[in-house]
Amino acid sequence: MLPLHASSPRGKMQRHVYQNGHAAYPLGGSGTFSIQPHKFQPRSQPALRRRRQLLLRLGLITATFFLVALFVFPSLRTGLIPALSLGLFSASEDFQLETVRYYDLNNVQGTARGWEREERILLCAPLRDAAPHLPMFFGHLRNLTYPHNLIDLAFLVGDSKDNTLSLLSDLLTELQAHEDPKQQFGEISIMEKDFGQKVNQDVESRHGFAAQAGRRKSMAQARNWLLSAALRPTHSWVYWRDVDVETAPFTILEDLMRHNKDVIVPNVWRPLPDWLGGEQPYDLNSWQESETALALAETLDEDAVIVEGYAEYATWRPHLAYLRDPYGDPDMEMEIDGVGGVSILAKAKVFRSGVHFPAFSFEKHAETEGFGKMAKRMKFSVVGLPHYTIWHLYEPSVDDIRHMEEMEQERKAKEAEEKAKKERIEKINAQFDNPSSQWDKDKDNIREMAKQEYVPNEEP
Amino acid sequence: MPTPRSLRRTNPITIALAAVLIIGFLFFILSSPSDGSSLPVSRSKDTASNALSPPSLPFRKAKSNERTPPPPVVHYHMNNLTTSSDPVTNRETVLILTPLARFYQEYWDNLLKLSYPHELISLGFILPKNKDGNAATAALQAQVAKTQSGPQKKRFASVTILRQDTESPLQSQTEAERHKIENQKARRAAMAKARNSLLFTTMGPTTSWILWLDSDIIETPATLIQDLAAHDKPIIAPNCFQRYYNEDIKMQDVRPYDFNNWIDSPTAKELGAKMGNDEILLEGYAEIPTYRSLMGMMHDSSADPNTEVQLDGVGGTTLLVKAEVHRDGAMFPPFAFYHLIETEGFAKMASRLGWQSWGLPNYLVYHYNE
Repeated sequence: MLPLHASSPRGKMQRHVYQNGHAAYPLGGSGTFSIQPHKFQPRSQPALRRRRQLLLRLGLITATFFLVALFVFPSLRTGLIPALSLGLFSASEDFQLETVRYYDLNNVQGTARGWEREERILLCAPLRDAAPHLPMFFGHLRNLTYPHNLIDLAFLVGDSKDNTLSLLSDLLTELQAHEDPKQQFGEISIMEKDFGQKVNQDVESRHGFAAQAGRRKSMAQARNWLLSAALRPTHSWVYWRDVDVETAPFTILEDLMRHNKDVIVPNVWRPLPDWLGGEQPYDLNSWQESETALALAETLDEDAVIVEGYAEYATWRPHLAYLRDPYGDPDMEMEIDGVGGVSILAKAKVFRSGVHFPAFSFEKHAETEGFGKMAKRMKFSVVGLPHYTIWHLYEPSVDDIRHMEEMEQERKAKEAEEKAKKERIEKINAQFDNPSSQWDKDKDNIREMAKQEYVPNEEP
Repeated sequence: MPTPRSLRRTNPITIALAAVLIIGFLFFILSSPSDGSSLPVSRSKDTASNALSPPSLPFRKAKSNERTPPPPVVHYHMNNLTTSSDPVTNRETVLILTPLARFYQEYWDNLLKLSYPHELISLGFILPKNKDGNAATAALQAQVAKTQSGPQKKRFASVTILRQDTESPLQSQTEAERHKIENQKARRAAMAKARNSLLFTTMGPTTSWILWLDSDIIETPATLIQDLAAHDKPIIAPNCFQRYYNEDIKMQDVRPYDFNNWIDSPTAKELGAKMGNDEILLEGYAEIPTYRSLMGMMHDSSADPNTEVQLDGVGGTTLLVKAEVHRDGAMFPPFAFYHLIETEGFAKMASRLGWQSWGLPNYLVYHYNE
């Protein structure tokens, strides 16, 4: 026999429709339509009611406690109100603060076509007693073709005796209030820091040889303070620009960027009055190193600073400024070792890796020249463009002013002389009657008389 | 059986009282948080209004639905920035910078224990972009998220996390490999660049102090910042030690770890004079004895912890620097600077700028033991 048959008989004997033993139809008993129990009898449930009351009381206590807590710890409110008010009321500041930032520095290395990749530029300008030049500088800013929202401006104002700070602040506010959002710049910071510099900022004392080393060191200090406070992890490029540049191409940022060099400077000249030859190389701090200069550096002591453009240190270095050809290719590049600070475009990674403007004697140089030297030391490319020129403002030197005064005096003397001559002639004319008119009158009379005499002679 | 009471039967005074109470509560809840002065933690002073702001400051998030106004013109009064011996009273901000290759939970726990007001502390981290770096970043971000959403008092003013490719990625970061003398120059040059990147991008115009704290410093006194700042020195380093199990005495013991804090010796100067321009003179290697006086060896547990010594070279494991030293240009040279590199070169460069370095031989911080 199969075991299946052995176990099945009880299953086959199933008489009920439902497994649980109830029949499908009520079978007799208390009648077809009777329902047990016979009348509605609400069960008395004191336990349930008590529980509900307890819950209610608990809820009330919680709510009271909660309100008291709101009183005692005001900081709790910030988190709860938006939830309670369904975001109808804006949350307080604290709740909206962002404190964590994440940056990948590989994205801000700087490329040749930065404007397409939306690379940010930090434009740095150290200022001191610069109020007269500011309106011109802001004109240049407005004209820049690089997208303005990608340019962050940073200024360091220090030791100024004129209204540089207030003027700068006004001009910047005006700049940012421009109705065209394309004209508005990015982050704008003004650092106010006085270093207590003793050196005057007028042309003569600024460029005198004796004052140079000290002046360059304090300039370097100002530049470093500005950069270290303004450089952000978002910057791909840093552009240093003096405010007293008179003429520069609007596309200067793109033009310099296109070369894709770590540090790049244009040539800087300045216009001159005609009697001084019309134009002149201005920035002599961009140069190539020479054997003579290296030998000279060996002989100097640790703190000495070689400054270019002075007879005291004959370095025989090839200067970027002297190599200019007005008709040369503006894209021509030249490797240089020292750089001038009038207009430097550098990749931000140069500054991030630690290159700065030495405020001490670094390889016998300071400030921008030392910057070039240090960039070279860290194997960055440093390049100048001999035929791409920007023009620095012409500020007459004391000699020039003296010469101009002399010329002015000469001119005045000449004018006075001419005036005196003229006056003398007039005086002579007034004092002595000119006889010629009388002569003419007499001549006419005589001629008339002669005519009359002649006519009767003819008639007979 | 309670039946619902009809409104008519309720005393009108009760309704009026309830209404007054509700209005009072609503008024109180909705009005008071807006005047921030009543809040115990007032941060409005050091908050930027824009995402374009120094990373050392927190900023207000822009609302997505409104057109953002142009960034404002911001004045920073750096003349008023102080670095004094009592930084807490003067509300001086501290930026703690850490080049991070591996994340140690003990490091973070120790950081949280610092008793300096956290709302005056900004943190900066730089991590390499490799496998270890990714793991460390994930661990770090988890902890940062936890802390910055935790209790107000423990939150830091801001946290900046930077990632950067290291130029000479060393195959192995184990302690033995890292300290091989031939690897040192490249390793320390890369380290110097990482430190400079971190420093110059995170130092804001409001920062007063920089605390360099390596990621493997796992134990410091909670008052570290106050204690070091109290000496009012431009650059000051505590003595970095390491806890270990001493087999000789069969118990836990401490030993000096950081040998980059030293006072120069005539021997080292002579060695330097004979070296080529690009060569560096390293400390702590038996191959080149320099006979410099190492701060690690000056420790005396019974002596006054406030004893100061003037140093010529410093290490970066724990180092408190006045921000103006860095602002003047003192950085970590990634090249041979007077035959010194990284933190030791930094001390030299600072001294060229007129800033002296100091050490506290009897004030200890502890390094992780691998």
